[in-house]
Amino acid sequence: MMQARMAAPAEATPAPVLRIGAVHKRFGALTVLDDCSLNVAEGEIVTLLGPSGCGKTTLLRCIAGFWAPDGGSIQIDGRDMGAVPVNRRPVGVVFQSYALFPHLTVAANIGYGLRMRGTPRAEIARRVARALETVSLSGLDARYPAQLSGGQQQRVAIARVLVLEPRVLLLDEPFNALDAKLRGTMQMELRQLIKRLGMTAIFVTHDQEEALTVSDRVAIMNAGRIEQVAPPEEIFDRPATAYVADFIGNSNFWVARAEGGRVALPDGQAVATDLAGPVRVMVRPHNLRLRAGEAGPWRGEVLHHRSIGPLVEYLVRSHTGELRVLAMRLEHARPLREGSAVTLSVLEPDLCSVFPAP
Amino acid sequence: MTDAALSRPAPLPRPGEALLDKLLSGRGIWPAVPAIVVLVVVAVIPFVMLLSLGFSDIEMSRGAIVSQTFSLAHLTGALADPLYWTTFQRSLSLALSTMLICIVFGYPVAYLYLIGGRWTRRLILILTIAPLLTSGIVRTYAWLVILGGRGVVNMTLMQMGLIDRPLRIVNTHWAVLIGMAQIHLPVMILPLIAVMSRQDRRLEEASANLGASRMGTLRHVILPLSAPGIATGAALVFTLSYTTFVVPQLLGGGNYLNAATMIYEQVVYSLEWSKGSVTALILMVTCLMVLVVIALISNHFTRWTKGRDA
Repeated sequence: MMQARMAAPAEATPAPVLRIGAVHKRFGALTVLDDCSLNVAEGEIVTLLGPSGCGKTTLLRCIAGFWAPDGGSIQIDGRDMGAVPVNRRPVGVVFQSYALFPHLTVAANIGYGLRMRGTPRAEIARRVARALETVSLSGLDARYPAQLSGGQQQRVAIARVLVLEPRVLLLDEPFNALDAKLRGTMQMELRQLIKRLGMTAIFVTHDQEEALTVSDRVAIMNAGRIEQVAPPEEIFDRPATAYVADFIGNSNFWVARAEGGRVALPDGQAVATDLAGPVRVMVRPHNLRLRAGEAGPWRGEVLHHRSIGPLVEYLVRSHTGELRVLAMRLEHARPLREGSAVTLSVLEPDLCSVFPAP
Repeated sequence: MTDAALSRPAPLPRPGEALLDKLLSGRGIWPAVPAIVVLVVVAVIPFVMLLSLGFSDIEMSRGAIVSQTFSLAHLTGALADPLYWTTFQRSLSLALSTMLICIVFGYPVAYLYLIGGRWTRRLILILTIAPLLTSGIVRTYAWLVILGGRGVVNMTLMQMGLIDRPLRIVNTHWAVLIGMAQIHLPVMILPLIAVMSRQDRRLEEASANLGASRMGTLRHVILPLSAPGIATGAALVFTLSYTTFVVPQLLGGGNYLNAATMIYEQVVYSLEWSKGSVTALILMVTCLMVLVVIALISNHFTRWTKGRDA
């Protein structure tokens, strides 16, 4: 998985398959999409991640053509999709509820798109059989959707769009209807399948873990805007905005002053920044280190601790506020007690983020 | 044992209360009892009486039945009578064509309801239900006014110069057909709307996304999924049209004979109750036969719903 992620070029490819330029969309007085731009390269998997109501599904529906954006452009292979109706777009949608046709068998569901295109019957049968094999559902072709399990239904929904060989695959929360255990394996499987077929795909989800598992790049959306598009590690390590830092993973914030291109950290180290004046500093819980005793300038008191498998999470009160600290359990053979005095330090000052003060 | 000893016995309800309680919240057949009682009184008993009349020779004397003996004479007589055959043929073709007209005119309305916005939907519902608020007789009289010799249709056609003399519409087969179709249209539209508005709208989007045109989606997704609605509506419209009495009586001009008007004449004018009950029996049996055919056809188109639990 890591290899595939490395191999997927983030920006080096010539022309992106999908180019979304400054798309706007409003419903009445409510702005749902505000200046959204995103390029997706050939064979890349991008996830639109954000809380419900952030506009991610709206953007997906605009790409599919179910809704028309009020401004901006959507291009696929350099061709503007503005005047292209839904049924002529080279886009395949996997719906959250799968939207399988209940009155058609699995084979007829998968062959539906080919039939609408007037493909000869023999070729439909051949391609449906191949698609069934691709999603390993061979032998279930005569079943009706209601006779399938959730995971099988999802694979039918995927096969149904794959047979049409769309340029862009759009998946709207495809794992929502599955139970938690199945979800994890399906996420891996689906990513491997898309990579094997070399397809370009956009996932929509509100589930961080899913986004990090499935995608080459994650686009974090908030209130109709795309806040940051970057590979999962970069989103986590170098969040572009305080919103992203707060949304992804756990984080500690405090207010400080930037002077002369740097912000001093309470432990005496410093972080470089372009900002000046009051700023917010963010550090991840695993980037903080605790030592027993009062041996440095940044002192605190353990309020609470809990063990999470191999890790211990501490809640520490210091003059910068309450901080979360994540340590390996081996580091402190016996976890530090509530009320014990500790000294804090930052492990990797480079991985601290500095944002403008609110 | 200890549980039984510990639990305090609940106060015994009075017998009336117990019965009421069973009727309202009992299991099995209990909640259906009131309906069954009503059905037995108003449907089963009269039906048995009707049958007994139809299958017996009755001697009357001074308005009272003197003797009643079993006989198949009325049934065989009816089946041998060519008038019966033509009348029932007419009733059947009238009801079937009304049903087809209602499907053809009702389906687009239901489709419009499906794809329409909030106000289109409201308007369709109001226009569909409003006629049901007036009596069928009133609506039939309205058709007399519209289709009559000096009615709206004839006056318009004459003013447009398409015809010189008023067309004779009222008192023909066509007037009956037009009236029946209009009066029974809501009964077709309402089940259609009920079934179609329960459909998942994503199916239409999925169909479009897979390359289907609007017509393709209508033909391959919406139409097959609304088959149960079509079947329900068709069965209702057929039953109502096949057994209707008012419309043919008024728009057919009194001498338009269908099964129901035939029964009316036999019972009210010629006082041949046995004949009338045999006619009613034939009407009912043939109606059931058609309903079975409709159910079989509908089953064929909705067989995908059967395997759900398999």
